[in-house]
Amino acid sequence: MLTINNISKTFGTFCALNGVNLHVRKGTVFGLLGPNGAGKTTLIRIINHIIAPDSGTILFNGHSMTHSDVMQIGYLPEERGLYKKMRVGEQAVYLARLKGLDKATAEQRLHQWFDRLEIDSWWNRRVEELSKGMQQKVQFVVTVLHNPCLLILDEPFSGFDPVNADLLKHEILRLKEQGATIIFSTHNMPSAEELCDDIALINHAHVVLSGSLADIKARHQGAPLDRIFIDTVQNTSVSNNQ
Amino acid sequence: MNKILLVIQREYLTRVKKPSFWILTIVVPILLAGVYAIPIILAARPLEHAQVLVVDDTGLFQGQFRSGRDITYHEAGSIDYARRQLQQHDSIDAIIYIPARETTLPRDAYLFYRSDTPSLTVQTDAQNQLQEILRNRILLDVHGLTPEDYTLLTSTHIKLRTQDIETGRDGFLQVKIVVGILLAMLVFIAVFMFGSQVMRGVMEEKTSRIVEVIVCSVKPFQLMMGKVVGIALVGLTQFALWVLLAGALVTGVQLTHADLFQQAAERHSQTEIASKGTEATYQYQTEQERAAQYQAGEGIDNSIQDLIEGLAGINFDMIILLFLFYFIFGYLLYASLFAAAGSLVDNETDSQQFTLPLTIPLILTLLLLPSMVGQPSGNISVWLSIIPFTSPVAMLMRIPFGVPVWQVLLSMLLLIATFPLCIWAAARIYRSAILRYGQKASWHDVWKFLKRDKIR
Repeated sequence: MLTINNISKTFGTFCALNGVNLHVRKGTVFGLLGPNGAGKTTLIRIINHIIAPDSGTILFNGHSMTHSDVMQIGYLPEERGLYKKMRVGEQAVYLARLKGLDKATAEQRLHQWFDRLEIDSWWNRRVEELSKGMQQKVQFVVTVLHNPCLLILDEPFSGFDPVNADLLKHEILRLKEQGATIIFSTHNMPSAEELCDDIALINHAHVVLSGSLADIKARHQGAPLDRIFIDTVQNTSVSNNQ
Repeated sequence: MNKILLVIQREYLTRVKKPSFWILTIVVPILLAGVYAIPIILAARPLEHAQVLVVDDTGLFQGQFRSGRDITYHEAGSIDYARRQLQQHDSIDAIIYIPARETTLPRDAYLFYRSDTPSLTVQTDAQNQLQEILRNRILLDVHGLTPEDYTLLTSTHIKLRTQDIETGRDGFLQVKIVVGILLAMLVFIAVFMFGSQVMRGVMEEKTSRIVEVIVCSVKPFQLMMGKVVGIALVGLTQFALWVLLAGALVTGVQLTHADLFQQAAERHSQTEIASKGTEATYQYQTEQERAAQYQAGEGIDNSIQDLIEGLAGINFDMIILLFLFYFIFGYLLYASLFAAAGSLVDNETDSQQFTLPLTIPLILTLLLLPSMVGQPSGNISVWLSIIPFTSPVAMLMRIPFGVPVWQVLLSMLLLIATFPLCIWAAARIYRSAILRYGQKASWHDVWKFLKRDKIR
């Protein structure tokens, strides 16, 4: 689905990504893990063509990624937000149309999604009247509305209560069953362990660990993922500092 | 549908749907029409009629006070009698008392009143009549002028009219100064009002982080231009509604007070004819005409009629076209720079650092306006009306006075040429700065963003 070849990016003197190589298999959930400031968000922005890499290439379904490929991505940023003064329905339709849907299709799909998540009564409410968790739900719907074949979710569970987090988990798995590929960036190791097929751990601009979750766990004698995360990050930070 | 059109549509509709847009749309023309119509209506409105007793101990003013539309003067024999009248009758408003002096002419007169101070109209009228009657007495009695000489002397009136030698048009300098300053202020306010809306819009997108989602669908440049253009359309809609509403209001006033405007129009056509004639035309008014005019209360309206005449002499079609041009391009210049400023900061307080230098050229022009109006073709006026960042305000101030065509064209060309440069610079800053959260940008960063070729 997505092959990342030797991507590097520096901001001034700060190296955000250094020769990153990754492969995301079609129809899987790919966990992009790493401590704060490791370069995850930079990598995601490069995939989304929000910023350009200094060097390296990205292949999308085997070809060099174009703007129309970007339109098939559904991106839920970590720093997310909506227009506070706009009404929920109006805003969702606007964002869907920016993704290339026509108005009628957007409205029809939105009502389906809102019905299923039981938020259809919010259609005419202003975003600022909603709680943070409610806004997150709306934002998730907006992210997946154009049936993207690649979903990039940056910390999707932050701000959700356990009930809604569970609901979201089910929706993610349902989308996976329908054939979507999902890149899932998180600090929450239990949810990564639960959802991911493959993972990559980024630390200090480098990929320090990658492969299928099962293989990695086997290599670490079945240790829980957060243990593996901490050990790997500590080891690579020490070797980086030397 | 093209994405930039979608952005424009959203920016336009969300603003036009706001109640504040409609409040501003309705309130401004009412204020403008009020400024234009209220003096005319007030002048025409009959005031409360005042009854004034005149007690003249000198004998000079006997039978000389002329009652008018608003005031009736009655002569009273003695001050004591008049005092009693004033105290006992509510219908009497005031007493004019002129005490006698032994040898010289009277120097002081008194206006006595009870509880309510006499209106300004009564005070002014009493003062004017006292002055005029006394002057007449001196001329006729002391200097022994013949009634004919006296009439000639008092009815001679000369008015200085400024006129363009080629077009024969009246100058109406004061009206032009007012119109020029109004235009300059209006374009200044409009550029800042809508320019800062662009800045706030950009900051809203940045601080709410929605920009991260949107730049996946549209290029930062499209988002920025969509906002700039959408808000420009909001501004133009507002102007169109203002012109329509103000026009409707003024027409309404003209219909309900047709006589006053009729007089003004007639006077204007008379002066046009007079100015085109080859013979020198003396404007001669007989004493009777003056008295008749005075009786009708027209004297007060002279300045207003001058204003209406002056306004009628200005080419408003041209002014509206030039206003639209300088508003649109001045706005595009500043709005794009404001967008860049908005993308650099996280909150309104920090924005000062970048907006202040941007606003200096316009504010400077505004401060120089009073001195420029004195010399609309002076060096400062000409240069400021040609330099792109100051020309929208400076040129509009000069337009009512008449500006050489080459200067207007040069100024317009420079403005048109500068605007792509501004957009380019703004877009470069914007695309780099809009996704930088939490860091306060410095001027050094701005320079870095400008030099950066690739997106970030």
